[in-house]
Amino acid sequence: MRWHKRLLVAGVAGLMALTASACAGGQVRGAGGTPQPQTSGGGSPAGGQANDATFVYAPNHDVVTDWDPATSYSNEIIALSNIYEGLTRYDSETKEASPRLATEWTSAKDGKEWTFKLRQGVTFHSGATFDATAAKKAIERTKEKKGGAAYIWDPVDKIEAVDASTLKFTLKYAAPLDLIAASGYAAWIYDVDAVDADGKKTAGTGPYTIDTWQKGKETELTLKAFDDYWGGWKPAQYKKVAFRVTPEITTAWQLLQKGEVNFVERLNPQLFEQAQTTESVRTAESPSFQNLLVLFNTAAGPTQDVKVRQALQLAIDYDGLAAALEGAGQKASGLVPQGLVGHASGMEPKQDLAKAQALLAEAGYGPDLKELKLSLTYGIGDEDQKLLVTLLSSTLSKLNVTLQAKPMNWSAQWDLGKKGGQDVFVMYWYPDYPDAYSWFLNVFKSADKPQFNLSYLKNTEIDAAIDKLPELTATDRLAAVEEYKTLQEKIIQEQAAVAVPYVQKYQRALSSDVQGYKDNAAYPNVVFFYDLTRAS
Amino acid sequence: MLRYLARRLGQALLVVAGVVVLTFAVMRLVPGDPAVAFAGPKATPEQLAAARARFGLDDPLPAQLLTYVRDLLAGDWGVSLRTRQPVRDDLYLAFPASLELVGTALLIAVVLGIPLGVLAARYKTKFPDFGVRVGSMLAVSVPVFWLALALQTIFASNLGWFPIAGEYDSALDTTSPLTLWTNITVVDALITGNWPILTSTLDHLVLPALVVAAYPTGVIAQMTRAALIEESGQDHARLERALGFGETSILTRFALRPALGPVLSLIALVFAYAIVNGFLVEAVFNWPGLGRYAAESIRSLDTPAIAGVTLLVALVYVLANLVVDILQGFVDPRARTR
Repeated sequence: MRWHKRLLVAGVAGLMALTASACAGGQVRGAGGTPQPQTSGGGSPAGGQANDATFVYAPNHDVVTDWDPATSYSNEIIALSNIYEGLTRYDSETKEASPRLATEWTSAKDGKEWTFKLRQGVTFHSGATFDATAAKKAIERTKEKKGGAAYIWDPVDKIEAVDASTLKFTLKYAAPLDLIAASGYAAWIYDVDAVDADGKKTAGTGPYTIDTWQKGKETELTLKAFDDYWGGWKPAQYKKVAFRVTPEITTAWQLLQKGEVNFVERLNPQLFEQAQTTESVRTAESPSFQNLLVLFNTAAGPTQDVKVRQALQLAIDYDGLAAALEGAGQKASGLVPQGLVGHASGMEPKQDLAKAQALLAEAGYGPDLKELKLSLTYGIGDEDQKLLVTLLSSTLSKLNVTLQAKPMNWSAQWDLGKKGGQDVFVMYWYPDYPDAYSWFLNVFKSADKPQFNLSYLKNTEIDAAIDKLPELTATDRLAAVEEYKTLQEKIIQEQAAVAVPYVQKYQRALSSDVQGYKDNAAYPNVVFFYDLTRAS
Repeated sequence: MLRYLARRLGQALLVVAGVVVLTFAVMRLVPGDPAVAFAGPKATPEQLAAARARFGLDDPLPAQLLTYVRDLLAGDWGVSLRTRQPVRDDLYLAFPASLELVGTALLIAVVLGIPLGVLAARYKTKFPDFGVRVGSMLAVSVPVFWLALALQTIFASNLGWFPIAGEYDSALDTTSPLTLWTNITVVDALITGNWPILTSTLDHLVLPALVVAAYPTGVIAQMTRAALIEESGQDHARLERALGFGETSILTRFALRPALGPVLSLIALVFAYAIVNGFLVEAVFNWPGLGRYAAESIRSLDTPAIAGVTLLVALVYVLANLVVDILQGFVDPRARTR
């Protein structure tokens, strides 16, 4: 049995090596200071009593990939929106910016000059005092970094700290700076000297600061209350927050039922229905600012013919799709989602197959005519988009139209799109700051090298109208609403460059003891933990 | 023995080199611009150009491959486009948890599979044999994702015997923080005597490890059974029978050792397979391993990260085979001459 002995010797040697390495030094995991997440199941603090429970958010993706508030442009918006604040925050009910670090603001010279009065008595997490100079430095740093959504500050020519509490912006061209300052990305004000890319400390003014960050772990991030927050703290608010990464929806649902997590971004339709009848859970639904665009190639191929494009618009089963989405999407009216300046009601599309067939026949295609072959690209792994494609494909086959649909990874789909490689391009669009202008500037303004203008629309009249939008929004919002409506009619009805099948709807599930939750579509998937309290 | 080892090592290096070239070629030839993973889904042309310049994505393919190999040899696995961290650091964080899960599963598979195989061989064509064969067939053929969901729903959610998800109760990070040495929680908890984390981790490990163990247990039991039946028909077994040894004794004392050779090779094969198979189990049980990292990397076409994961799994595969070859040299001296 010599081999037994050798194995034993090898095993002992291995163990010794391990022990030896153990004597060389080690680091402590999750070396934070304050307590880690506890389930909110235990204890029963009443409204006035201290809330020592941890609010647990269950995202299905990594929590933070970029800690720099200047360049961050990804999922970390959920955490960072609770650590950093901007000058304003968007309110989708009033469709206006509301005070945050700025308490009031005025614009002059046709929207080319903006003056913000800043909040007094605000301190950064670093201990530094927030004032106009600090705000100016932060925005200038974000601009210089040119990362993420830094382009939102492009209209800004000059920033002046007039006095400690007055910040004045001079713009190159008119723009709604109050809305830009409410952006979910790149608009955060931070202490430029305290930015830490490793996530060990935070430099914001928000209600929470980082407690622990363990990249790749299940509980990836925990936040703790910033004691000196300018808004103060009430006993029933959550002082601790944890992000527990849960890739599987079914797992998230089980954790929510057991009270181990408090908030799940999205369940599938079956589980969401179950959640609506589960006692320990409550649900919340609200429309988002993200809509699906079906962009038709106006520059080449068979869709160059406006009649083909109009036929395709009419072939989409908008009602059937909304029903099949089971609440995850609602029928759109125009290009601009509800809750934004520029939303046009009464523009809901309808399926009309007879008309579609007639239009196709006029273009030379149809059941008794030539077969029409169209290529379409859409996002791989997106079940909602797949549903649209399946429904459309089966409808079109009856009209002798063959849809060659290809699911693709975004970067591949986008790459092909930039080269004009398809007839129909399906994608979601959402604005970086709460302004309808984003759809028009990015998706429908002429471009020699298209980035997101993937319908390749080139129309000087439309371009001129788009260029007028920022000034109108900055100076006369009522006129802007009218102009937006006219533009949408031109793009959707006249040009038929796009079909908008649905606006995504948020379907949240949260534990029933959480109070004060309200979705804000301008900040996708963000929960403002400071607004929440725990019921007794 | 040394020549045998050198030959095996040489072959292993060739395999790894092949994997590196293939992985690189595949990741650069798939359609799409990897710079998007770094610069974001709505990146401006300038941001994309800057990302391409930073990662040398505009260089010709052979030049990129050369840089990649040169960096690899220097221990640099590249920078993840998504996490913006060195891939090696990312893998160092994610891999130990996968190793912990798969290691435990294989331990379960060996401890259960070999005795079950012996039992089936001992009672060939009788009820225990039938039971083991049906059981192992089921274990091998049940989809791992379904099994994970079923065990989680029954034993964690409904019966509450085990935790639903996670590696250990993260509240313990405060009450009894773990000092890291190997980054494998269960090992670190053991060597530092951190009993609360050790017991919590073991508790959390049961369900996912059982799911990952299902396939290896089934194959090992079947292979052990087959190898033992073959061995017990050899000349030496007839001699042992003539000398008066009982069937159980022949199987465990004489036939098991030569029969272990193929079983050991199988374990090496199954090990690398179990790591990748475990990705799905990790997703269901929120296990903080390679699975989540691989899934997010693939979703965002983070090519250096995907290449890193592939290379790591290939290395594990090659290493496991090498270890088994060496072990086989000990178990069966005939292997050394092959």
